[in-house]
Amino acid sequence: MKTRSGKVAAVIPKAGRLISIATGDAAENMAIDQALLESVTRSGVPVLRFYQWSSPTLSLGYFQSVETRADHAESADIACVRRATGGGAIVHDRELTYSISIPVPAGQAGPRFDLYRQTHAAIADSLACIGASAVPHRLTGSDSSEEANSVKFLCFQRRTAEDLIVSGYKVLGSAQRKNRTAVLQHGSLLLQSSVYAPQLPGINDLVSKQVVPEEIASLIVQCLTVRLGLQWQTDGISPQERSDAELISAERFGGLTWTNRR
Amino acid sequence: MSRDESKLLYAESHEWVDLVEEDGKMFGTIGLSAFALEQLNDLVYMELPEVGRELTAGEEFGEVESVKAVSPLYSPVSGKVLEVHAELPESLEKLNEDPYNFGWIVKVEVSQENNVDSLLDHVAYQKQCAESGS
Repeated sequence: MKTRSGKVAAVIPKAGRLISIATGDAAENMAIDQALLESVTRSGVPVLRFYQWSSPTLSLGYFQSVETRADHAESADIACVRRATGGGAIVHDRELTYSISIPVPAGQAGPRFDLYRQTHAAIADSLACIGASAVPHRLTGSDSSEEANSVKFLCFQRRTAEDLIVSGYKVLGSAQRKNRTAVLQHGSLLLQSSVYAPQLPGINDLVSKQVVPEEIASLIVQCLTVRLGLQWQTDGISPQERSDAELISAERFGGLTWTNRR
Repeated sequence: MSRDESKLLYAESHEWVDLVEEDGKMFGTIGLSAFALEQLNDLVYMELPEVGRELTAGEEFGEVESVKAVSPLYSPVSGKVLEVHAELPESLEKLNEDPYNFGWIVKVEVSQENNVDSLLDHVAYQKQCAESGS
């Protein structure tokens, strides 16, 4: 299959693992993503998964101070977890989270940036299928310099080049964690406005067709197949990955030491 | 005195180290290469190790964030952290302008058993950068 991708396709195998949509709590979701990144580091096989959150949760960017939660009263009482990835805080409520981990050659950053662009392009393709015209922020003609460098608390109030914009609103934001030979990218696609972040509409608030998580996840898989030039084969989380995730959850994401570390 | 980047050693992961011998001990100053900084784009956060921490060559000693991506910093040598550039995380905008002088990150006392054979000289590092195609 001809791929529209450059650097990503050059470095990853032609098949990846697809883990079906599931619901988990905050620590479990973050720990599985980390375990999958480590698994890809060992195996070199890309992994794509989708998930939702068992209760409304605020995820902080890795470097955000927990004290900045005071800047957003609406989400003050919901669960909180610190991600291993960068960027701003996200309210995970009426949304769909995706996670993709791929191998990258040591010392190279090109594939990492390409992954951002191709994944977001695939999700824009998916949104087009349901009648939503999503464009990267870099093509909207807005001056992003001030907004991109801002310190707004919520990820969806910030703007960087590849963020997807529908009708003037950011509906998709992603962040990454890199190690020596692999990168994890996960991101949130807003489906509907949440009472814990009422200032942020989702795609169902912006287009006439209403979409459910399973439908949009399926479309994203199809579009990622084209954009990344690889086939996704349905798989489960392996016993080793599950065991790693439980350990990571206990040591890191499940504890206040991690969440309140800054 | 300005540091000469052609005299430094480099890790595959883009950290440089300036090794100096004094009184029979080896000391290393570590930073990030100009190539790495160009690839990372604007850094917005940096986490430094604590003074006194023992670093192992090839292992993480800090982290940076750029364009919503968190990346580890890998130590090119083993040794004990003697000093960290404490003002750097608050002055990251200056890092790209002078990565080999102002941009130093940590100073270490390099351990005796250290092996720097796996590090690249400037010519080999430049070749790696050219081949990675940025």
